[in-house]
Amino acid sequence: MNGLLRGPRFHLLLRLLLGGFFVYASLDKIWSPAAFARIVYAWQVAGPVPSNLAAVTLPWIELLAGLLLLGGVWKREAALTVALLLVVFLAAASSVLARGIDVENCGCFSVAQAEAPSAWPPAWTKGVGGFLVARNLVLLGAASVLAFFSPSRPRGAPRGAEARPSRESEALPS
Amino acid sequence: MHWEGACYFHDMSLDWKRFVLILATGAGAGLLWNAASGRGFAIGRSVLAQAGDELVTAADAKVLLGRGALFLDARPRDFWKMSRIPGSLPLPEEDFERGLAVVEARLRRASAIVVYCSGYGCEASHVVARKLRERGFPAAILDEGLPAWQDAAGPMDSEPRP
Repeated sequence: MNGLLRGPRFHLLLRLLLGGFFVYASLDKIWSPAAFARIVYAWQVAGPVPSNLAAVTLPWIELLAGLLLLGGVWKREAALTVALLLVVFLAAASSVLARGIDVENCGCFSVAQAEAPSAWPPAWTKGVGGFLVARNLVLLGAASVLAFFSPSRPRGAPRGAEARPSRESEALPS
Repeated sequence: MHWEGACYFHDMSLDWKRFVLILATGAGAGLLWNAASGRGFAIGRSVLAQAGDELVTAADAKVLLGRGALFLDARPRDFWKMSRIPGSLPLPEEDFERGLAVVEARLRRASAIVVYCSGYGCEASHVVARKLRERGFPAAILDEGLPAWQDAAGPMDSEPRP
């Protein structure tokens, strides 16, 4: 299990999927901040002004963390940022579900206010409900692997390299 | 080059400065985009408010109720049937024209009109108040709706209506 979690290809796959997911998720929200703010209001978590601040800042943090994951720069910190966002989203979704509030569009990808009921994807994937919680838990798992499990050496790397000291500062010339 | 074998939990090699920098840069970019892109909005007030809207706080609305102002409930009618601000009449956003025909005579006699709905995320009170203004009725909006009203210890009438 530990070997799988540290596989370099597995890490690359997770990084590209998670990074692409978050970049895509940020775009519509960045393009229409006021429409996204209305959706944050529907969650009824924090009042209008804190909701405005969340609507303005969170999509850009998603975009930046997603780009860093795609580019392989500051990977662990970007993954930790994504994990933090997901924890915040999960906490907010739990609060929404506990209070029995009906949020038809979670604002995860699209800020559209009203869509035809037959539109793809189906409604249960758009609202705040079990699907959203399950998806975010899977994404949180992926982000945690990237943040907290270092990849093992790829094939062809020098033998014994894994046993080297793991602190970056020790690997760098002083 | 370094191929790390350990879990980062153990070697603690996450760089917290980078993590904070990502959050700060993302938040800063968002604020800048909102301020300078032309696609932003005023962060300091509800995004539902528009020029021409008249908002009243729950405290002021209580005074207006005491003076006999007419309160209108913009939520779906079933919510009004369950509980309402005392003396209020239903004027649901989705059934505006029919509801208006019923309450129009009362509107003409009202000294002041306050429209409310279920909270800061609810746009119905804004929509109904604007439609009333278009028809010449100077309707105000209860700021942040019923939760603010109840926080201000405003009275509620919870007797079910048919």
